[in-house]
Amino acid sequence: MANKIRVVCTAAALVPLALLAACGSSGTATTAASPSSAASASPSTGVSLTETGSTLMFPLFGAWQTAYNTDVTDVTITTAGTGSGTGIADAATGITTIGASDAYLSAANVSQYPGLMNIPLTVAALMVNYNLPGVKAPLKLNGSVLAKIYTGKIKTWNDPAIKALNAGVTLPALKITALHRADSSGSTFLITSYLNAQDPADWPTADVNTTVSWPSGAKQAAETGSGGMVTGCQGIKGCIAYIGISYLAKTTAAKLGTASLANKAGKFTQPTSKTINTALAGFSGSTPPNGSQSLINTSVPKGYPIINYEYAVVKKTQSSAAVAAALKAFLKWTINTGSSSTFLAPVGFEALPSNVKTIAENQIASISG
Amino acid sequence: MATSAPAARPGGGAGSPPPRRLGGALRNSWRNGDLIRWSGRLGAVIPLLMLGFILITLFVEAIPAIKFNGWNFLTGSAWSFGAGYGQPSTTGGIVHLPGEVFGALPQIIGTLETSVIALIIAVPVSVGAALVIVERLPRRLANVIGTFLEILAGIPSVVIGLWGAVTFGPILAKHVYPFIASHAPDVPVLSFFRGDTGNGQGLLTSGLILAVMVIPIIAATSRDLIRGVPLLPREGAVALGLSDWECARRVTLPWVGAGIVGAAVLGLGRALGETIAVAMVCGVALGQIPTNIYQAMSTIAANIVQNLDTAITGPLGVKTYAELALILMVITLGANVAARLLVRRVSSTALPVGRGL
Repeated sequence: MANKIRVVCTAAALVPLALLAACGSSGTATTAASPSSAASASPSTGVSLTETGSTLMFPLFGAWQTAYNTDVTDVTITTAGTGSGTGIADAATGITTIGASDAYLSAANVSQYPGLMNIPLTVAALMVNYNLPGVKAPLKLNGSVLAKIYTGKIKTWNDPAIKALNAGVTLPALKITALHRADSSGSTFLITSYLNAQDPADWPTADVNTTVSWPSGAKQAAETGSGGMVTGCQGIKGCIAYIGISYLAKTTAAKLGTASLANKAGKFTQPTSKTINTALAGFSGSTPPNGSQSLINTSVPKGYPIINYEYAVVKKTQSSAAVAAALKAFLKWTINTGSSSTFLAPVGFEALPSNVKTIAENQIASISG
Repeated sequence: MATSAPAARPGGGAGSPPPRRLGGALRNSWRNGDLIRWSGRLGAVIPLLMLGFILITLFVEAIPAIKFNGWNFLTGSAWSFGAGYGQPSTTGGIVHLPGEVFGALPQIIGTLETSVIALIIAVPVSVGAALVIVERLPRRLANVIGTFLEILAGIPSVVIGLWGAVTFGPILAKHVYPFIASHAPDVPVLSFFRGDTGNGQGLLTSGLILAVMVIPIIAATSRDLIRGVPLLPREGAVALGLSDWECARRVTLPWVGAGIVGAAVLGLGRALGETIAVAMVCGVALGQIPTNIYQAMSTIAANIVQNLDTAITGPLGVKTYAELALILMVITLGANVAARLLVRRVSSTALPVGRGL
């Protein structure tokens, strides 16, 4: 009897351990299983699609979510802004259906997470903003000057190198505070890509990433999130920052200037719908079937130099046919109805050119369940 | 007793259902202490298993990073996730990106520096506060202040971090740091307080924020310790003509010395591992050791929380973070062991009064 009791008690005590082990090993399995089991009950209803990733894209995804959930009631979409890297990793492990990313999958991503593809959904741009109360006209800056600012080789706004680009503008003898993102960020990736494309000597390829080790020479400050960059820059006279185009309304309200940036042709352009689309037209003809293309540093004279495709990173093979069907329908909706100006204008994004839209449609069609 | 119980139960026939027998078994094992014995044994083993599990999995995850980073991880200052879109290459069987280099020295130093600053501020403040609360204030007021201390200890670190980033840091940078920087003499140690004062994100702000978080822990513990000092030796000291403060210095504090070291270590443990509050005020500068006390820096914990997203996308990032986590565990463990040795040393010194009372 005493032995029996011992057995019973040990068994009872082992239950929490077993639960613990189950939690540790099958976190992804349960999430993958729940949509399919819901789908098996009724093929087209109750599917839920989840999105995590890029914070730059998060406001747009939020608008899409609201509209799509109203239009299509049997599919639920939930979104979260977690950062592009997390979005890619979540999509790869199946924690989430769509990973939103500001950048296409790198060679390292592809080898680390086979079976993923990146589908371009829309086009975004990155602004360079500054807080210089006396200066009215937009400043002209290029990648070389920016690289020298961020490495601390240029320390004040009246530096000869900045004056040379801005003839006739009175520049104050103010110290430059270079703001950068404290967290991992697609914006950091875009600006460092631009610096590297324009001036590889001052900004080596090894410093192109979503987190970089910022050189210690510059007077600098770190801010979390694009919103943090806006309020941070607002608070520091003489600051310079890089902020996603979706924050244009906020940077304008904060009275920050938007720099005209030099493209590969050496011409300076403001980020407007026109210059973004002009730059885009120069690239879109050569967008490969897998959608992976850098749109930095256009050689078209009237094009804006820091633009990018915003991607949905998804698994080619989804957990079930029902999830695949719902995902395909939603992605198709995003590049058609979802790419009307109602959705894109508030965040300053641009719709895909028609040939890239075809590429995206082909990619969407290749998703299977 | 165990065998006679079912038979003695009225109506308990041969067909009595298993739950009842299980209930009986449970009641029996409760009575004879088996249940408590086994759950106790299990409870004792689980923390050990958890620690072992965490250490082993971290180590296994970190092996490629340990091989790739080598000693440079502890001695180097350059920290780069490499060219995100470069072609990965293989060195010594380990896949990495071009330019990928991880030298964690600035973060290790940053972790230690911020914690030391926190303790330097927190220990005297806490012990002073505890003394005043126990020995000087009327009981009602002492209780109120004690309650506030406990509330302060319960504030989530993210709230303190937010306050530090939005209010505390900028105010210090605007009104306090420039004053200190312009008045600090150019002598060793104090010259560290000179120079550019930045925007309120950096080493000193992080240390101060940590001090705010650590003070309630040390103060509450010290208060309880001081309360535990017996009345007799203190009365004896007063009878010998010692003032209150002399009594505190010669009787009360020596009595609780070891305990206060222990309390400081509790605080140190919190300071070393504190993540989000520091991440919000440190400026997250990865590749540089601060040259003055206001400069942006990073700690191990802050680096991990702020840049995990980038680490996930590279071949070595997460593995390097596993290695970093191991280092943090070693530092915390080292601090604990050192503190234990210190406690032993402190408590073995002869106390001036009353040890044998």
